[in-house]
Amino acid sequence: MERPIFKPIGTPVEELDTPALTLDMGVFEKNLQIVHSFFKKSDAKLRPYVGTHRTPALAHKQLAAGGTVGGVAVGTVGQAEVFVNAGVNDVLITTVIPMQSKAARIVALAHRATMTVVVDNVANIDVLSKAAKAGGVTLNVAVDVHTRLNGTGVEPGKPAVDLAQQVAKADGLEFAGFHSYEGAIPGNGEAVAKESRKWIQKVLDTREAAEKAGLDVKSVVVGGTHNYDIAAGMKGVTEVPAGTYALLDERYRTQRSELKSAASIMATIISTPASNVAVGDAGMKSCGNDTGLPGIPGRPDLSISYLSAEHTNFIMDKAERPFTLGEKVRLTPWEIAVTCNLYDYMMAVRNGKLEAILDVTARGRYR
Amino acid sequence: METYKPNPGTPVADLDTPCLILELDSLEHNFKVIADTYKDTDVKLRAHMKNVKSPMLAKMQMDIGGTVNGVCCAKVAEAEVMVQGGIDDILIPNEIVTKDKIKRVCSLAHKAKIAVCVDNPQNLRDLSAQASASGVTLGVAIEVDTSMGRGGIRSPEEGVELAKLATSLPGIHFKGVMSHQSLKGEGDKETRYIEGRRYIQMCLDVRDAIEKAGIPVEYVSTGETFTYDVATEIPGITDVEGGTYALMSTFLSYMTEFEYAGLMLGTVISTPRPGVAIGDSGMRAVGAMCTYAEAWPVVHSPEGLTVSEMYDEQVVLTSKGAMPLKVGDKYFLRLGQQDVTVNRFDHYIGVRNGAVEAVWDIPARGCFH
Repeated sequence: MERPIFKPIGTPVEELDTPALTLDMGVFEKNLQIVHSFFKKSDAKLRPYVGTHRTPALAHKQLAAGGTVGGVAVGTVGQAEVFVNAGVNDVLITTVIPMQSKAARIVALAHRATMTVVVDNVANIDVLSKAAKAGGVTLNVAVDVHTRLNGTGVEPGKPAVDLAQQVAKADGLEFAGFHSYEGAIPGNGEAVAKESRKWIQKVLDTREAAEKAGLDVKSVVVGGTHNYDIAAGMKGVTEVPAGTYALLDERYRTQRSELKSAASIMATIISTPASNVAVGDAGMKSCGNDTGLPGIPGRPDLSISYLSAEHTNFIMDKAERPFTLGEKVRLTPWEIAVTCNLYDYMMAVRNGKLEAILDVTARGRYR
Repeated sequence: METYKPNPGTPVADLDTPCLILELDSLEHNFKVIADTYKDTDVKLRAHMKNVKSPMLAKMQMDIGGTVNGVCCAKVAEAEVMVQGGIDDILIPNEIVTKDKIKRVCSLAHKAKIAVCVDNPQNLRDLSAQASASGVTLGVAIEVDTSMGRGGIRSPEEGVELAKLATSLPGIHFKGVMSHQSLKGEGDKETRYIEGRRYIQMCLDVRDAIEKAGIPVEYVSTGETFTYDVATEIPGITDVEGGTYALMSTFLSYMTEFEYAGLMLGTVISTPRPGVAIGDSGMRAVGAMCTYAEAWPVVHSPEGLTVSEMYDEQVVLTSKGAMPLKVGDKYFLRLGQQDVTVNRFDHYIGVRNGAVEAVWDIPARGCFH
């Protein structure tokens, strides 16, 4: 468990024990306003992917902001348990669950919340159907469609429709529709739009084929932060499970110029051993460098050469103002979902002062 | 937090996944290699707790042998966990600069022998002031940068200046010198000897300069898993700060005397295309290093599979021929950099002969403060 010094509410952000995961609530709320306003006017609705921040207090803020389907999306059964326990009553789990023990946990949740899961083969359907029948509940089941990534999913078109037929026939299951995660598409503007449309269209074509085959397709769940507007703009898309939009990170920052970085890692300079090097106290264990290095907002004259387990190595060769010992530095995570999973506490800050300490309850819920 | 605590006796095949497995036979083997290596040597292990994050594992190594009967901790919060777990000799091979943290370190010094590292005179004065105010004595070692371009003094002269200052300040007990090394890329026995010796010599040069200035040097704490045996052949080293040896990481795969005791257990959730199996141990659980390709997970069993991609909650396993895994099958991954993975779990599932023997807390998970 994380062991920060808990500072009193009202403490200036610069005085927090570091490394600290901070969330500027003003910026967070502004990001919500922008994205949720968009979805209020759109036919497709937002289903906030809360596996990104793993924090129930933030999920409730998102659901209250409007423009949503009234529920959230998560990556694992363990995360779903956290959010249902925290009072969320509609959850989509976007990972295929073929294990009996996990199916039983989903059924238990279905007594308290509307649960939707995804499948990509007949064996999944069987496991879920048996569990639902045994528990006396109905589970909503979407067919996971393989598009851009090399992960789970049945092939679009006939294979997906065939599987959907099997779902529709299965006892205890209600066919919900189709789900696909096309991954984070790099680039900007028309390039992202074109690539997104190409993959999402395969899911929409599958929808059309399913309807032709007499299936009632209630939902098509596609897209993410980088292409939420593109996905929502395609007729037939009903839900966009975006998550990063609310906190933002370096990975998506340049793709979403309307949003601002709400989450930061506060670090302290603990060594200035040479004129061209400074060392911070936030390394891979408190930033995460699974997919990229953090940014240093407001300091284009600096860069990070590498993260070691517990240290940030800053390159100061071109520094206009070198760091001094003990100085606080604000870093912006490369991938906020990685960073949130490292912390048990998120420091909510408003106008530069600590407003609340939020529990990152679903941290570590991989199962 | 991560919450899995299966009952003892549960077969591996029945475990919920992903979970972090400790193969206890392998763990004990690794502890034994260390105990044997340092049995009759002056140099001993000061196991690094950033790797295992558990005072219980620290004590297991101490009981089996080969240690200084103390540990090192990367952070103050980690040291707090170790002191509360009954460990009473701790070196923090890191600079502690904020007022808050210096107070915490001094508080620990009431209960345990605590030493911290310095590379800056002002920091040394701050430590002295708080140690005096708290009525404790802090041990201090000078960090020497040898190969990481990170914290640490860059020359023996700087070392002498700092050592002089340390001996003159109240509340400070000057202990010696400390350095970390890092060997990037593919290593082998010869490279690690040559490079390891070169790095350690840089640290010893600082010690020599300090001794020449008339200041006694009590300890030289240096070396890592990749130099754990090299250090036995270099006189004057007192502690080796090894940590990875206990659970092992794929980036040290050339250290074949150590077994992979830390493993990620996963379950196949889909076999959507020929030659492809998707497992449930994704990047959130396992972790990855974007800047360090050597630290990538490797399939431990079954043999012949490759970890070709990791997504948030999924791993893509591929096979050249027919995929031996089917949906529901279990597989084990070796960890790319084990401490990154341990830092994401709150429990070890201790396994022997294919069944759970014990579940142990990882109390210093997330202790990066």
